[in-house]
Amino acid sequence: MMTEARKAATSALGRRTLLAASAAAPALMTLGEARAQGVAPRRGGVLNTIITPEPPVLILGVNNQGPTLIVASKIYQGLLTVTPSLDPAPDLAKSWTRSDDGLTYTFALQEGVKWHDGRDFTSEDVIFSIMKFHMEVNPRARAILQRIDKAEAPDAHTVRFTLKAPFEPFLLIFDVTACAMVPKHIYDGTDFRNNPANATPIGTGPFKFAEWQRGNFIRMVRNEQYWKPNQPYLDGITWRIVPDSQSRALALQTGQVQMTTSNDIEPFDVPRFQQQPNLTVALNGWEYFSPLSWIEINNRLDNLKDPRFRRAMAHAVDRNFIAQRLWFGVGKPATGPIASTTRFHDPSVQMPAFNPREANAILDGMGLRPNAQGVRASIKLMQIPYGEVWNRLSEYLRQAMRQVGIEVTLESTDVAGWVRRLAAWEFETTINFVYQWGDPTLGVERTYVTSNIQKVAFTNTAGYSNPEVDRLFEAARNAAQAEERRRLFSEAQKKIVEDMPLVWLMELAFPTIHDKRLNNVIRTGTGVHASFDDVFLSA
Amino acid sequence: MSFWRRFARNLGAMVGLAILALVALMAVLAPVLFPFSPWEMRGIPFMPPGEAGFLLGSDSLGRDVAAGIAHGALVSFLVGGVSTVAALLLGVTLGALAGYAGGWVDDAIMRFTEFFQTIPSFVLAVVLVAIFTPSIASIVVSIAIVSWPPVTRVVRAEFLSLRSREFVQAAEVLGRGRIAIMVTEILPNALSPIIVLASLMVATAILLESSLSFLGLGDPNLMSWGFMIGSGRSVIRIAWWMSVFPGIAIFLTVLALNLVGEGLNDALNPRLARRRGIVVT
Amino acid sequence: MGAAKLLRFLAARSVKAVIVVLAIVVFQFVLIRLAPGDPASVIAGQSGAADPLFMQQLREQFGLDRPMHEQLLIYLRDMATLDLGFSHRQQQPVARLILERLPATLLLTGTAFLLAITGGVALGVMAARRVGRPADSAITVLALTFYATPIFWVGLILVLIFSVWLEWLPSFGMFTVGAELSGWAHALDVGKHLILPSLTLGLFFLAIYARLARASMLEVADQDFVRTARAKGVPEGRIVRAHVLRNALLPVITFAGIQAGQLVGGSILVETVFAWPGIGRLAFDALLARDYATLLGVFFCTAVMVVVFNLITDLLYAVVDPRVEVA
Repeated sequence: MMTEARKAATSALGRRTLLAASAAAPALMTLGEARAQGVAPRRGGVLNTIITPEPPVLILGVNNQGPTLIVASKIYQGLLTVTPSLDPAPDLAKSWTRSDDGLTYTFALQEGVKWHDGRDFTSEDVIFSIMKFHMEVNPRARAILQRIDKAEAPDAHTVRFTLKAPFEPFLLIFDVTACAMVPKHIYDGTDFRNNPANATPIGTGPFKFAEWQRGNFIRMVRNEQYWKPNQPYLDGITWRIVPDSQSRALALQTGQVQMTTSNDIEPFDVPRFQQQPNLTVALNGWEYFSPLSWIEINNRLDNLKDPRFRRAMAHAVDRNFIAQRLWFGVGKPATGPIASTTRFHDPSVQMPAFNPREANAILDGMGLRPNAQGVRASIKLMQIPYGEVWNRLSEYLRQAMRQVGIEVTLESTDVAGWVRRLAAWEFETTINFVYQWGDPTLGVERTYVTSNIQKVAFTNTAGYSNPEVDRLFEAARNAAQAEERRRLFSEAQKKIVEDMPLVWLMELAFPTIHDKRLNNVIRTGTGVHASFDDVFLSA
Repeated sequence: MSFWRRFARNLGAMVGLAILALVALMAVLAPVLFPFSPWEMRGIPFMPPGEAGFLLGSDSLGRDVAAGIAHGALVSFLVGGVSTVAALLLGVTLGALAGYAGGWVDDAIMRFTEFFQTIPSFVLAVVLVAIFTPSIASIVVSIAIVSWPPVTRVVRAEFLSLRSREFVQAAEVLGRGRIAIMVTEILPNALSPIIVLASLMVATAILLESSLSFLGLGDPNLMSWGFMIGSGRSVIRIAWWMSVFPGIAIFLTVLALNLVGEGLNDALNPRLARRRGIVVT
Repeated sequence: MGAAKLLRFLAARSVKAVIVVLAIVVFQFVLIRLAPGDPASVIAGQSGAADPLFMQQLREQFGLDRPMHEQLLIYLRDMATLDLGFSHRQQQPVARLILERLPATLLLTGTAFLLAITGGVALGVMAARRVGRPADSAITVLALTFYATPIFWVGLILVLIFSVWLEWLPSFGMFTVGAELSGWAHALDVGKHLILPSLTLGLFFLAIYARLARASMLEVADQDFVRTARAKGVPEGRIVRAHVLRNALLPVITFAGIQAGQLVGGSILVETVFAWPGIGRLAFDALLARDYATLLGVFFCTAVMVVVFNLITDLLYAVVDPRVEVA
């Protein structure tokens, strides 16, 4: 037990170090910047916002669904976060170093950080979170954390990881959305998934969990012991659960909520809110995720296994129409397998352009002649059950394919059915979208390499296989230098576009719409997944 | 007084019949009036009614709402009709068996029927469609499965009262087969409440289909009115016409079916069946 | 009716009710397992990442790795101790999830039901007493209109009129979050939120009860004992109250009993439109998430509600109509 005097001393020390640290880190210099702009942060006010669908549980790692990430990232924190250009930035680690051989990473932790239950946050928590907690429960993190050979804590505020082999994108896994720090004293030695404490999340973040009325709202309050002095500025955040999209739009319009995120507002409502003078519509803040959507094609089936047929499909789709008419300019047409906001995107690689005549010519060349109804071939498209606009997309695709003589029958599913059939390869075509996690090795490779053809969703369920592509991805994964990786990824993008295993559609963006009085909402490459410790409501 | 004259005297029933005739005409003429797929994206999205050549406006993809309603009429009738026929087959069979056989057969069937009535029908329909995955077939089957119990009850009651009548007993004395008696002697005499019930069931089926579509459990390949409201409801504030017009179409059709049902009821059962006129599945 | 007789009746009916509820639970248990996919695949789908180990861990955690009959036996055994199981998805005991949301649904359906039964009977009686006159036609048309309109569509239109255009009433939720009201202010706030949803749900049933009440009023009014009363010179108002209404209510009550479950079905739609935090929406979300325990828990609850409601109906029947013996 610390005495009161010592507590005060450590916290004062913590504060000084902290100020120094934040001065050294331009990405987090929010106070200074705001002052420079003449908008000094104001204390007070509760942010009312929406979360859909309702998260099942708020423990990051145990659950990694989109809504969980957005809500829980205010309670938990990671060692690092990422800038919009996907460079690492400090969070619970104030600085870090990488050895010249690219094998050893050393993090210096912020001092004076406390868990919401009052215990100190130390390097032991970090080692536990990474090596035990996420290693067990978090499938996405596990794939990368397994590359760690040794994890050490030389002192309470230093952590050192030694990798088995160099791994250039290693630092991208430390964002709160990928590897949140969880309290060792609560979870060590327990069944992580069924720990009773999962009902009351304990983190280090600027907001503390207060109340959750299922089906109604989640309320969090200001963490008075937060490690950044005077922060957070808000008194609390209330997340309302509103299942109906029109009710959400209405709540935003009438000012009952001051912010909406991700899928809350349907794309067709976005232009309306862009007109509303008291609101800001931001489309950035998804760089780290860079969701890319495509027509997933089962490369094992007749016609569909022929690259010419897939190329014809690509020529039949007007991606500009999709971007403008379906997504109302929220997001932009895809150009290839790596989104333009992800590292190592090669703008010189372009997928086939919209050209129905070319599509017809290719299909003619394959000997697929139209019958009396003008139908050359029939395929099934399994709808993706993620809401209105996706249904409209499949309806558009059906019409577009029909234009070149491909008859499309839609199949309706719900999430469970869709995932089951996707994972069992029981589909002809479907629509899919996947997060890229900032780096092709983390979020793109999994869709195209032969070794990841698995009966699990979000692997290479299309069944695409090209040894040359496999080799390029593997070399890029192991290359220590960014420039070498860039070269390899450019090569891979060219090869994949030649084969067209999928028809890429859109680089998705999700609108963050908020009251103009709400400041600093999007400042990182993870947007609304940031801690919101610098967000404030101006008068 | 003949059936038709009694029916024709009922103003409501005649109005209902006229509406139904119009809707049926629209269903038949849809390929002529709108000789293109209702899915075709023909123009600018969100055009209000009367503009850019869209009589009832265009939807979020520039599809013609009027064409959708016209083509959707057939689908709605189809869903309503087929599911009603299926429910009738099941319900009449069970009801006839229960009413004619009596005893433990009656007991067993009625317990079974009560059991189904204890499960909220809409909830059951939602679960069934989710299980079979939404398609026209699964929707029709699900609606039929939740709609037969009232038929069974009504038919059983009719058979119970008819089986002790002289003409049935005469046939039994003549040694005719039980099934023959049920089908040729009793059933024709029990037809009128079944017909009334059927007209109301078609109406309920159309409502059910639209509710399922509203929850996203419609068939994605068929332009039905329910689907149109389902896809229009989220844009109701920018394009009210997308959900209002199909809603009106459903309303008018269901209303007409009910008016006709009541007219039939009054005409077929001038004294007795006033209160049977309302059967909600 | 003697107390002993009533008790015997209640006992017999309770046994039957337990059997029915049990049968429903088993039926639904088997039914929802037929749905494609399982909770693990939903979680994988919503996390956008999975590996075989992860899927296996989830299935073990949910107890889905056991054979189905074993799962059913475990479920029934738990049910016997009134344990509705644990929702792994929501990390909460099912009973708690349901108890949290049941009051909202009871409030909504209760209000809607009261509105429907009082409004419906009043309109039905009014129409029956003015049969053939304009008021009768107006009421009949009104009832038919509500009856023929899709329930969710009524909700949308009401929102459009009263929330969007007139801005009189809130369009969603059960109370203003963050307002931290208490006492009367809170009740008033909930009341305001309750108006549109209960109206939406109530109007449909109001239409049914109105038509039913009118029809049975007319039928009873034709019967001998009413004619006798009239011939004796009993005032018309008293005839209606003392003879007609009492008997005309019977079919309405019967029907309301049968319909108790349908109110819950309708509340799924209404709760969706108005974001009302009740068990209808809980059930629908649980269905999509393959949250078996929660879904079964809701089915169990509605089955109990329906059975209890039917029991009450039977008792009421005996009260309203002394000729009916509870048998």
